[in-house]
Amino acid sequence: MLPVAQPRISLADLRGDRRRTRTEKLVRILLFAAALTSVAISAAIILSLLGQTWTFVSQVELSSLWSDGWFPRRGQYDIKTIVTGSILVSAVAMVVAVPLGLGAAVYLSEYASQRARKWLKPTLEILAGIPSVVLGFFALAFISPQVVQRIFSEATAFSMAAAGIGVGILVIPLMATISEDAMRSVPDALREASTGVGARKITTTVKVVIPAAVSGLVAAFIVAISRAIGETMVVFIAAGATGGSLFSTDVLGPGQTMTAAMASQAAGTDQVRGEALTFQSLFFVGMLLFLFTLVLNLAADRFVRRVRQAY
Amino acid sequence: MSVMSNPATVGSTAATERVRRSITGGKADVKGTIFMLLMLMALLMSVVILAVLVIDMVTQGRTVLTERLGDFVTGSMSSQPEASGILQGLRGTFWIGVFTVVIAFPLGIASAIYLEEYAHHKSRVARFIDVNIRNLAGVPSVVYGILGLTLFVKAMGGIVGPNSNGRSVIAAGLTLAILVLPIVIITSAEALRAVPRGIREAGFGVGATRWEVTRHHVLPYAAPGILTGTVLALARSLGEAAPLILVGATTGYLSGGTEFLDLGALTDRFTALPIIITTWAGRPGEGWVSVTAAAIIVLLVVVLVANAAAILLRNRFDKKRG
Amino acid sequence: MPAVAAVTACLALTSCGGGSTSSVVVSGSSTVEPISIAVAEFFTAGNEAEGNEKVSVSVDGPGTGDGFELFCDGLTDINDASSKIKPEQIEACESNGVEFIELPIGNDGIVMMTSESNTAVKCLSTGDIYALAGPESQGFETWAEADELATEVGGQGDLPDAPLDLIGPGEESGTYVSFVELAIEDIAEERGQELQTRPDYQASADDNIIVQGVQGSATSLGWVGFAFAREAEDVTMIEVDDGDGCVAPTETTIADGTYPLSRPLFIYVNKSVAAENDSLVRFVDHYLGEAVDSVADVGYVALSDTALAETRERWQSRTQGAA
Repeated sequence: MLPVAQPRISLADLRGDRRRTRTEKLVRILLFAAALTSVAISAAIILSLLGQTWTFVSQVELSSLWSDGWFPRRGQYDIKTIVTGSILVSAVAMVVAVPLGLGAAVYLSEYASQRARKWLKPTLEILAGIPSVVLGFFALAFISPQVVQRIFSEATAFSMAAAGIGVGILVIPLMATISEDAMRSVPDALREASTGVGARKITTTVKVVIPAAVSGLVAAFIVAISRAIGETMVVFIAAGATGGSLFSTDVLGPGQTMTAAMASQAAGTDQVRGEALTFQSLFFVGMLLFLFTLVLNLAADRFVRRVRQAY
Repeated sequence: MSVMSNPATVGSTAATERVRRSITGGKADVKGTIFMLLMLMALLMSVVILAVLVIDMVTQGRTVLTERLGDFVTGSMSSQPEASGILQGLRGTFWIGVFTVVIAFPLGIASAIYLEEYAHHKSRVARFIDVNIRNLAGVPSVVYGILGLTLFVKAMGGIVGPNSNGRSVIAAGLTLAILVLPIVIITSAEALRAVPRGIREAGFGVGATRWEVTRHHVLPYAAPGILTGTVLALARSLGEAAPLILVGATTGYLSGGTEFLDLGALTDRFTALPIIITTWAGRPGEGWVSVTAAAIIVLLVVVLVANAAAILLRNRFDKKRG
Repeated sequence: MPAVAAVTACLALTSCGGGSTSSVVVSGSSTVEPISIAVAEFFTAGNEAEGNEKVSVSVDGPGTGDGFELFCDGLTDINDASSKIKPEQIEACESNGVEFIELPIGNDGIVMMTSESNTAVKCLSTGDIYALAGPESQGFETWAEADELATEVGGQGDLPDAPLDLIGPGEESGTYVSFVELAIEDIAEERGQELQTRPDYQASADDNIIVQGVQGSATSLGWVGFAFAREAEDVTMIEVDDGDGCVAPTETTIADGTYPLSRPLFIYVNKSVAAENDSLVRFVDHYLGEAVDSVADVGYVALSDTALAETRERWQSRTQGAA
């Protein structure tokens, strides 16, 4: 046990006793198994989506995928309705999140003193911790009547605009954090060089730091969109989408997103059942959503890696 | 983490400032100031939104909490807002938290240890697992609901919920534990990465095995960072609603036939605080608005206290190391 | 691995803990849901006061049709229904060996309503309603656009030239089905149309939200159950003419069926579960006994004394099947 106490150390002493190496091996196996569960989870997600999606795709009438609207109970599964809804809500969200998130990141990274940072950054983190149901209710009970309907009198109580703003608030912290990380990883040498040739701080920030961090900013943008597309509860509560919805591009009116279509189908039916392929359509939408966000996340990952490689 | 990068950065920033001042001759930069103020406003907007949200909820939900806090917290769901309570929701949310702690924490921390301490960073397996985890973290929560529905409710329904068609709090807890697993892994791995290499080398130097070094030296050092990440993950799982809708949380009424800690009732039907909020949010009328806001205040207290604790913990830890 | 351990532990605990058989699971119509919730509240309170074994009662309201899917799979004990069980649902129950007891518990009227500020509309014929909300009305953006169709199907027509903001229950709701059956079906069948409403109306699963939508527009047209319309402020309940003159929805006209858009409400009880589960028996006893006033309390029209006596008799004798 205590090799130090012995006058001489032989090679055998250093090898460690059998019990310890056995523990070591066992631990390694257990840890590896734990790490593999995440792979198993990915496989399980894909498998659970795949089966029913295949049933849906192989049995659905193709014409019903391009019709007047998303009415799973009538056998109308118009993809463009829910995809457009998702895109519109995400677009509104980005209109809110990009200026606010990016501005916050610029201030935190380039202007804030250490002390200011210490107080301001946790606020963003607390905002990030607010559950989406809370923002959904806030969007319905406050943003819609007090903001959206005040500015646009023709907006309905449930609207994609109000939901989009709610989703936007939700992704501000994400946008801000990733952007700030990107800007902070720009080496100070660049800033110093810029200052040295007489550039003002604003010039340095806009012409040097932001272009240098652009990959990271793009990544932040993509991750934020991905999160906005995947957000469910805000849209479910505030966009007024129920079991079905006609194709609509009016953000001031109610609308249906991929996520809300899934949630309202499950909420409306308890067991998630219905006529013919209604149940399977839930999985089909889930698969669409999964692929959408997967592509976005992979793209964002690539941009993030580009930043890391650059500096 | 980057806050504590190195003292040299701070010094050089100050130097940059001095150079700048000498170049501009100390003249005011109007455009620059406006730009800075705009950026500051963007940041403060988040603070304003947060404040408006909290004030709005407190204004609307205050009366419920001041007039009948006891009944509200210990009461069941009801058809009347004045009689509504959140006990069943608290119970479900509590058990979801327990599942997260019991399953996601050890599994996530173990995965992080494997990836950071054991796997060769360049090995294909490790890289595959790593990419896989980062993608999992980006999968929308409602898709995890599909997994929960297929795997726990349908396939394992007989085990996790024999008397609730599988829609039990066990199914919900397992689903949310899986949902936050990537977050636990990523934050724990970050904490482990921040442990100075010297600590490990010192351990190996005295002949300790990798596990002994990890357990006695690396983990204690990384513990505050890991704890921060896990608490954030816990807060996330307590606030999630979308997967629970798919797993089949009860939305209408659930009687208090069950004790808060009754383990036997884990296989019965359940509901959770975020689900109650969703249900009530859909019922207009002043009465429902106030109980929804009151339930939100309770959820915010739970979630934000957890978040704030995590942030404070990290700040203290940063200061000590910094 | 810990997951497996936890599940096994829970399993073991359930089998030692026991007591989970005393549960009552109610699902079905969102219209009947408030009644069942009120009954469940009374039942739970009474059960506690008597110091009986605790019973876990859960009530959901996904819709009558979805409820029957569950009920006929034997997954729920009681199905709330705002329309009578359909032949294909009976078939589904039979093929799974689920026997049921049909118990009428009250009446509901579907009320067409508009904003209080809309004085141009006081009474609609069923033809008008078909022309405004039926399968052939897709795309009509003003009331007047429905005029031609309304007169063609035997309605009064002469509708105001104002924007038409339609709002009603979603397709998963029992109210949707009843609306189609009461207001749309006859004319739609005659004209060879599908038995459904137009798709382009604002749909909500929550009756209260529909009331809100009606209040929100000066020229709205919405439909909900009587309970919700009666409670709603700032809305006008429109009279309905089925050929015998305009009839306003009131408790009396709904209970005696003279109001054209009225319907009975039911609960369906799983007969074999009732034979085994004492809690379920006590719950239904309660439903038809002490708690029967809940029907009126939550805003529906209570059964007449004779009708209630008939329902109790069906329950006592455990009369199987639909009447």
